[in-house]
Amino acid sequence: MIESQEKSKTSGVAKWFDPRWRHSGTWAFILNRVTALGLTVYLYLHLVILRSLAGGPEAYDGFLATIRSPIFVFGELLVVIGGLIHGLNGLRIALNSFGIAVPYQRQLFYGLMVIAIITSVIFGVRMFTA
Amino acid sequence: MIETRSAPKNGEGAWLWMIKIFGGVLIVVILIIHLIVNHFIAEGGLLTYADVVRYYSNPIIPIMEISFLILVVSHSLIGLRSIILDLKPARSLLTAVNWIFAVVGVVSIVYGIWLVMSIVSQGSA
Amino acid sequence: MSQEKWKVTYRIFRKKGTESSKFEDFELEVSPDEYVLDGVERVWAFHDRSLTFRHACHHSTCGACGMVVNGFEKLSCITPIREITQNGGVVKVEPMRNFPVISDLVVDMGLFYSRMDMVGQRQVIPLEEEPTQAGIQTGPVERDGGYVRLSDCIECGLCISACPIVATTPAYLGPAVLAGAQQNGLERTPKLLDLVDTEDGVWRCHSAYECTAVCPSNVEPAWRIMDLRKQVVKAKLKGLFGGS
Repeated sequence: MIESQEKSKTSGVAKWFDPRWRHSGTWAFILNRVTALGLTVYLYLHLVILRSLAGGPEAYDGFLATIRSPIFVFGELLVVIGGLIHGLNGLRIALNSFGIAVPYQRQLFYGLMVIAIITSVIFGVRMFTA
Repeated sequence: MIETRSAPKNGEGAWLWMIKIFGGVLIVVILIIHLIVNHFIAEGGLLTYADVVRYYSNPIIPIMEISFLILVVSHSLIGLRSIILDLKPARSLLTAVNWIFAVVGVVSIVYGIWLVMSIVSQGSA
Repeated sequence: MSQEKWKVTYRIFRKKGTESSKFEDFELEVSPDEYVLDGVERVWAFHDRSLTFRHACHHSTCGACGMVVNGFEKLSCITPIREITQNGGVVKVEPMRNFPVISDLVVDMGLFYSRMDMVGQRQVIPLEEEPTQAGIQTGPVERDGGYVRLSDCIECGLCISACPIVATTPAYLGPAVLAGAQQNGLERTPKLLDLVDTEDGVWRCHSAYECTAVCPSNVEPAWRIMDLRKQVVKAKLKGLFGGS
């Protein structure tokens, strides 16, 4: 085997989220990973915050007053969007992984993201006008 | 001798991956049910403590919510582990990660079940 | 071949020995229907004899001339200049990603070839196992079923270059290797199960589909990795209940 001058460069985290010179499949991968991280943060925050439930009516109802503020509602909307993207794309991956619709994976991705966007808009309107 | 990676560990990837994928599909299903029930069917939309207690008095609800909890915690931890695998952790680091995630998972699930049961017990109080 | 002539700048990655890498510009007059590889050869012939690159058949059969052209993985012998730039534009040529660079555009394919050997990659796939327009088949197909281009992997390495998981670790077997294992099939070669059913094997794929997007030879590695997963699951279930 030829002696190479340098070890093959492995690019690490920066390259994970770099969509340049990449096709739609990579964008799906990036979206899935970003939403995964976001949703994980939300999950554990949610579990911690729900502790207020154990504190009885005053704690819970007081907490609910807090989450009506626009910042929280916006945060929740981000969770909804992230959940839609991650969930729908995840279903696509599940289907593909069992050999279903693989030749159409690109169209499926675009179609599902359109559904995600439309649903996000609907939720967004409902959440901010309620 | 061509350099190869260390001996493959049989089967480590397969079952975890399948739990993640099937778990993911189930999560989508339960999430839809969870959202519909929480926000459209439950009285008052669960906006007061009393509503929450009433909601949990139907036994299907704690079962569904606890299943949801187990599925989501497992899915997120297995997924996080996959992301960490992409960082090429040393074997010792990976073993530590496995243990930490297992503990976090168990603690989260136990905590969640305790929370649910404390609400359910309020209902029968 | 049209009479049209373009002026383009070839911006070529250079690296010799332990020097740090750099890009060198060469102004060329080309016909836009010529291929990227033709320009590289002209640079070597008339501008700089020290330029090192791989090429052989010039018709997408040998897999030697894989390069990254203007950011995308391409087989340079079949990539017309017209496809990647316009008159007055730049043709940026770099070696494939995720392989160690030996010199200029030449990379070390040793580990890759040894892995293709390990999975018993067959250079020529029998017609009975080729995909047809009727759909991708894994079993025997009818002789006149309308074959799409034959899917013989030419081991060019473009899929390895494009895969975001290979970019994180050379331990991952990668699309070409897993596709080769799938083409053999776990039923025919059960010893491959231990090789692919691992963390760095078939379960590492995150469905980015870059491999299929850049493959010049119709191998469709992404689908093959999915199919290999099905084969592994079947094999494992049989192992649980088949009493072996």
